[in-house]
Amino acid sequence: MGRNLSLENLTKRFGTLTAVDHVNLEIEEGEFICFLGPSGCGKTTILRMITGFETVTEGNVIFDGKVINDLIPQKREFGIVFQSYALFPNMTVEENIAFGLKVRKMPKKAIAERVDQMLDLTGLRDWRHLYPPQLSGGQQQRVALVRALAPNPQVLLLDEPLSALDAKIRVRLRAEVKRLQQELKKTMIYVTHDQEEALSIADRVVVMEVGQFRQVGKPIDIYKCPASSFVADFVGTSNFFKGLQTVDRVRTEKWEFRVPKSTSLSKEEVFLAIRPEKIEVFKYGEPPSHLEPSNLIPGRIDVVTFLGAAVRLVVNMDGEEVISDVIEKEFEQRQLKQGGGVLLYFPPEAFIIYPSKESS
Amino acid sequence: MNRTDVSKGYSIPPTLISDRYLTWIMMGFLLAVLTFFLLFPVYQICRLSFIKEGMFTLKNYAASFTHPRIFRSLTNSLYVSLVTTVITTVLAFFFAYGLTRTTISGKGIFYTISTFPLIAPSIIQGLALILLFGRNGLVTRYLLQTDWNIYGATGIIAAECLYCFPNALFILYTTLSAVDTRLDEAAQSLGASALKTFYKVTLPPAKYGIASAAALTFNLTITDFGVPVVIGGNYSVLATEIYQQVIGMQRFDLGATISVILLIPSVGAFLLNYYLTKKSYALISGQARPFLQPSRPFKRWAFTLYCWIPSIFILIVFASVFLGSFVKTWPYDFSLTFRHFDFPSLGGSAPLWTKFWASVLKGEWQSIIAYKYAPIWNSLWVSIFVAIGGATLTLLAGYIVEKKKPKGEQILYTLGVLPAAIPGTVMGLGYILAFNKPYFLIYGTFWIIIINIIICNFTLGILSSIANLKQIDKSIEEAAVSLGANSITTFTRVVFPLTKTAFFSNMAFFFMRSMTTISAVIFLISAKVKLAAIEIIFLDIDGRTASANAMCTIIIVIVVGMLLVMRLITGKAGLKGMGTST
Repeated sequence: MGRNLSLENLTKRFGTLTAVDHVNLEIEEGEFICFLGPSGCGKTTILRMITGFETVTEGNVIFDGKVINDLIPQKREFGIVFQSYALFPNMTVEENIAFGLKVRKMPKKAIAERVDQMLDLTGLRDWRHLYPPQLSGGQQQRVALVRALAPNPQVLLLDEPLSALDAKIRVRLRAEVKRLQQELKKTMIYVTHDQEEALSIADRVVVMEVGQFRQVGKPIDIYKCPASSFVADFVGTSNFFKGLQTVDRVRTEKWEFRVPKSTSLSKEEVFLAIRPEKIEVFKYGEPPSHLEPSNLIPGRIDVVTFLGAAVRLVVNMDGEEVISDVIEKEFEQRQLKQGGGVLLYFPPEAFIIYPSKESS
Repeated sequence: MNRTDVSKGYSIPPTLISDRYLTWIMMGFLLAVLTFFLLFPVYQICRLSFIKEGMFTLKNYAASFTHPRIFRSLTNSLYVSLVTTVITTVLAFFFAYGLTRTTISGKGIFYTISTFPLIAPSIIQGLALILLFGRNGLVTRYLLQTDWNIYGATGIIAAECLYCFPNALFILYTTLSAVDTRLDEAAQSLGASALKTFYKVTLPPAKYGIASAAALTFNLTITDFGVPVVIGGNYSVLATEIYQQVIGMQRFDLGATISVILLIPSVGAFLLNYYLTKKSYALISGQARPFLQPSRPFKRWAFTLYCWIPSIFILIVFASVFLGSFVKTWPYDFSLTFRHFDFPSLGGSAPLWTKFWASVLKGEWQSIIAYKYAPIWNSLWVSIFVAIGGATLTLLAGYIVEKKKPKGEQILYTLGVLPAAIPGTVMGLGYILAFNKPYFLIYGTFWIIIINIIICNFTLGILSSIANLKQIDKSIEEAAVSLGANSITTFTRVVFPLTKTAFFSNMAFFFMRSMTTISAVIFLISAKVKLAAIEIIFLDIDGRTASANAMCTIIIVIVVGMLLVMRLITGKAGLKGMGTST
């Protein structure tokens, strides 16, 4: 039987500002959930309501079948990892990890055993007698992680834990967190504004905007089928076109694209979204003949950026900028170069169509 | 890993009182203390000055303003305060400029010397000037053989300048060292002359700091009691006039009225200083990295010379009082003696101390140590209580205001910073009016003195606690709470260890103030309850100037001794930055 954590119509208002607006979510025991959204979207506020540092305006936080809205933070027994590490600077690594155990008045021997176990979990044994300021940022965050895990919390909450670290360490620690989560099978709730981090680490991602959930789902689903133009824009990169749709055509200001068929017969204003890697790029004048001609559009390469295995092109299409990613091999084979003329092909089935009412 | 292997059966122990209630209880306690020992006395003064026979009246004010002596005190007070403010601010500004903007050597020495006036009662400036320029002054009588002497306005202004110097300097030093010196370089590289750079680039960002130093100096001077009482002669000022009316003539109503009149400029200067300090910090809060290009030889020369002038004056003050307590008859017979340390019998006794030494010693030593030195023992004893109590209360108040932020914390903050606005003599009189009732059992004991000194110096304590607590990241406390620690554990195990240094330096501050304060407690001492700093005044009034010097020397030795102990404990000097926010 799982000890689930659920949010029920959870709402937080600060004066007239609604930071979190009636959100619902069921988190299963052992699940790794990631809240993703731009800063100010309310993700940290949700986390703080779960931890009990922020009061709930409306709705409920339910854990293991009990409403815990008014339970003081100490009694929730949820571990927290902070962006600023928040290690106690007056205590050694060892003392930091032992803090939560001493507070519970565990016997000395049990504390020592648990601390050793925690140190081994992250390979911190050699640093046990050092003070936090003597450690690097990455090491400090590892200590913070096992300090939170030491009292064996029901749920571990991580509030942008890696955003103060530099890129390389961030990627390494990210993998470490994932490994720990799989090893310990602990429910983890992770808050971040870094979409790459969210997609690579979580079982399920919750994309947030202005206090509301825009999409909840597995990383792959969120990337492949963004539920709204906001999600398509915020998660990964997308090109957008605004136009009027009639059956299987969308007429924009400059072009007319063929798109998957719509059920509606009347003209509708829509947004077309397409991922950069879905667009095919050919040297001007030599497209394969079987392609849908209305979706082939000429342009000029303005900027070339090497991303390693792929090459990102910014293409000027009659004054409109379109981003397209091609793999490095194709870039060579097709003799593409900056300033060169190209033909872009937008496969009809690669378009995702959003009603235009909802703006991003 | 089995998830139930740890912490099963080791649940978080329950707290006796819920955390939220604990904050409320603490805040309620602090508010009650401040209301009762700060607002209530001030209220009593206002009431007495405005109400006669149950009716509201301005009679007292009419009487004060038409009373030639009292009116003269008001104009005298304003005159000496304004002159002192101008002189001190200018002197301290260029001193601070020398320490922050030039590459003169000996900055550490200058800075250290400039803090000396803080470790002695303000009265020391008066005593020294009398030794040098008084009726029997070394310079006036012995060297120049003139009948001119320094008593009166000149003496008060000179002494107050020396006394206020470090306080103004701290503010200006902070201001000038925070302003980006690269701006000066930029201006010069654009072709501005040195003088133009100073007026157009250096001065403008420092303007609030300068005004704030001036306001503080004004407040310190107009509220000071020790200096005018010894060197004022017949020149009366408001702070001494209150004492005169109350203790000399038993006119409590006029004393209260003068107090209210004195409150206006002192509260005004305090508010101005407070407002300007905020402005000043807003202006200089940038990450300015001071990097100094070497000053030209002439500039270095001129500023070194300049900085020596106030430094030498301060050194002379201390040297003459020190020397004055060891020579037979100043300025005629300079042979050394310990005679002046055998104080005239003051009829004092001290709890524990007197009993202990009286039983151990016999004869002359018994009377000196057990009885004559009782006021010193009292001062020490009171100061230790003030240090512990003051540092603890202000840390708690700061913690609640800065970290707990319950509803109404603004009221606590306002009450906490208010005491610096209220002159010591006013507080002293207020305490008599408020607590001189048979049912206030603490009146006439040491406890009322301890409480009074803590309250009078609350401002600096709470401000430095808040400044220190601000540096502790909020999530550190949340981390402790999320790991299961309750409020008390979080405070004792995490917050307190991180504020320990600030706590000790607050203790040093309260101790120092308690050893040297005069103005408020002079109303609260009695025949049985005597303090060393107050004895200086009585010795001086009795004409025992040399013994007054000796008493002053003993106080300085005790304060310096305490600072050295603090330094050993914390590994840091206790004085740095202490006067910045009074």
